[in-house]
Amino acid sequence: MEIKDKLKILADAAKYDVSCSSSGSSRKNKADGIGNAAISGICHSWSDDGRCISLLKILLTNYCIYNCAYCINRASNDLPRAAFTPNEVAELTINFYRRNYIEGLFLSSAIMINPDHTMEQLLNTVKILRTEHNFNGYIHVKAIPGADSRLIHETGLYVDRMSVNIELPSNGGLKLLAPQKKKEEIIKPMSLITKQHQQSKEERRAFKSSPAFAPAGQSTQLIVGATQDHDFQILKLSEGLYNRFQLKRVYYSAYVPVGVHPNLPVLANPPTLREHRLYQADWLLRFYGFSADELLNERQPNFDVQLDPKCDWALNNFSLFPIEINKAEYHMLLRVPGIGVQSARRIIAARRLAPISYDGLKKIGVVLKRAKYFITCQGKYYSEVGLKDHLIRESLTVKPILSPSNQNEKQLSFFDVYKLKESIITGEL
Amino acid sequence: MIIFVFDNTFEGLLTAVYEAYYTNARPDRIVTEVYHQPNLVDAVKFIETDEVKSNKVYDAIVKKVSKEALRHVYHAFLSETVDAPTIIYRYLTIAFKMGQQVDHLLTNKHILEIHKISKKVTREKHRMLGLVRFQLIKEDLYYASIEPDHHIVGLLAPHFAKRMADQNWIIHDKKRDTAAIFDKSQWFIAPLQYKNEITNNNEEALYQELWKTYFKNIAIKERKNSKLQRSFMPTRYWKHLTEKS
Repeated sequence: MEIKDKLKILADAAKYDVSCSSSGSSRKNKADGIGNAAISGICHSWSDDGRCISLLKILLTNYCIYNCAYCINRASNDLPRAAFTPNEVAELTINFYRRNYIEGLFLSSAIMINPDHTMEQLLNTVKILRTEHNFNGYIHVKAIPGADSRLIHETGLYVDRMSVNIELPSNGGLKLLAPQKKKEEIIKPMSLITKQHQQSKEERRAFKSSPAFAPAGQSTQLIVGATQDHDFQILKLSEGLYNRFQLKRVYYSAYVPVGVHPNLPVLANPPTLREHRLYQADWLLRFYGFSADELLNERQPNFDVQLDPKCDWALNNFSLFPIEINKAEYHMLLRVPGIGVQSARRIIAARRLAPISYDGLKKIGVVLKRAKYFITCQGKYYSEVGLKDHLIRESLTVKPILSPSNQNEKQLSFFDVYKLKESIITGEL
Repeated sequence: MIIFVFDNTFEGLLTAVYEAYYTNARPDRIVTEVYHQPNLVDAVKFIETDEVKSNKVYDAIVKKVSKEALRHVYHAFLSETVDAPTIIYRYLTIAFKMGQQVDHLLTNKHILEIHKISKKVTREKHRMLGLVRFQLIKEDLYYASIEPDHHIVGLLAPHFAKRMADQNWIIHDKKRDTAAIFDKSQWFIAPLQYKNEITNNNEEALYQELWKTYFKNIAIKERKNSKLQRSFMPTRYWKHLTEKS
């Protein structure tokens, strides 16, 4: 098989993995080496679905021994299969990198033969890149659940980020759609990576030359909409992962129907709006000091798709508002809809020099469309509907846009009107 | 109106700022000779670039204000917009009074103006770090052509000098006929006029083909979103992108 055909199959097989970030590592280039990592990460292109392309995201192989219903690469699925050799992947990465197509490699794999064999192949690939090609760009590799912990440990010493995909947010979903996998098997490598990462961090504090273990940390991915799990369960899980495993990111992937199975839901379109709400809530957890219990609860287990989670929270806790922009503390400013981390910081900096006026807020970059209902500025409240939370909710709700699927409506044509008039004139009504 | 005209160099601009401080006639506008259009009404003063004077202003910005302010000034200069020199001058008059706190004056019109253009340049620079596409045109010589809105080729060079340290490369700004050239040890900026079409050898053609294949297959068709794609990667850049041309 030619390299182009392999690339076609194995890029296609990897596209459902949403992780794309190349940030968090400051690996430096070495003498006679190629590549370095940018701490902020760099996007190199944007594909037709609008998602960024930062890393060469491919599977080593899509031959799989597992048969998970939600996965395109399941053993029972009839699709073309291919496998790269570690050398082919290394060549491809280096040549793409030299042309500045990519920021590095994101290597994943289906499970060929057994987990240990697969992990060994992944390890070989990154070893070739780092030692033979002297490559110092970004590498993100999947840890294979069930593989020997020594293999995972050794791989971690070569790469910048490691991840294990949880995919299904609950044990029930796992039993239903991926009966060959067990929750414990997925959690085990995750806690191993967390431990090693922290240990190497501490060691490096004492001895700068001691090896770094996955310096850009760990991430995971959850599929949204393949099982009956509520947003509350998903968000609770993410919160746990951030707190217990110090994950850098949890990615959410709206389920794209890839097969027919009695246990799978039938969806017309991937639930991208729900995915978007979860990402918004995820940001609230990581950067805005919210907890999952504040945003959702057993009575309201799902997000309102028409209102973003922060607005929803603010309206449910309306007694806390309005707050005075020139006095409120940082953590409270962060909780106002329409004020983000950057504008909150700017408000703090600007009000040290002079009180901020309503007009000044706009210049700072606050989204007044949302913020005006929840703030006072130099003592004055600016919303036109007053302090009534039900009216505010109404004006903040996204108005449903007429969907193009409504086939019965059509635009009137000039000639239709003409015909109508003609029939009136001729009396043929 | 009093107008200062300088020679479109950064040193020229700083000399103009120096002159504005030490002459009685304060300028209402500062423009480069590129944009200057003479008329009968305005009093025009041509500034002669003076290294001593410009160095004084340069050092004063770092010492009396901050390195951050110098970065804003330089990036605003690189934006090559008509109003940039005037905006820089107004910013510096406030900055020399306020000191290092000046960048916290976020509700001031003049401060916001310079932050806005300097941010535009910084953004384009960051975007271009990803969008530069090298082609192997000869043995061990990589060439990339770009047409950025702002004059950022000098900001891109240090990044690639660190990253592609073991290859010779040229980043060619076709709009300005300038190029950053790297010879495996150091980079420099030089004028370059090269209009010819580049023909690819076999190896180069193969990798371009592979990259296009990858680009096509990594998209999820069910989630196609051209608007989002264009907002991140505006169509004016597509001409120089392997995957889009």
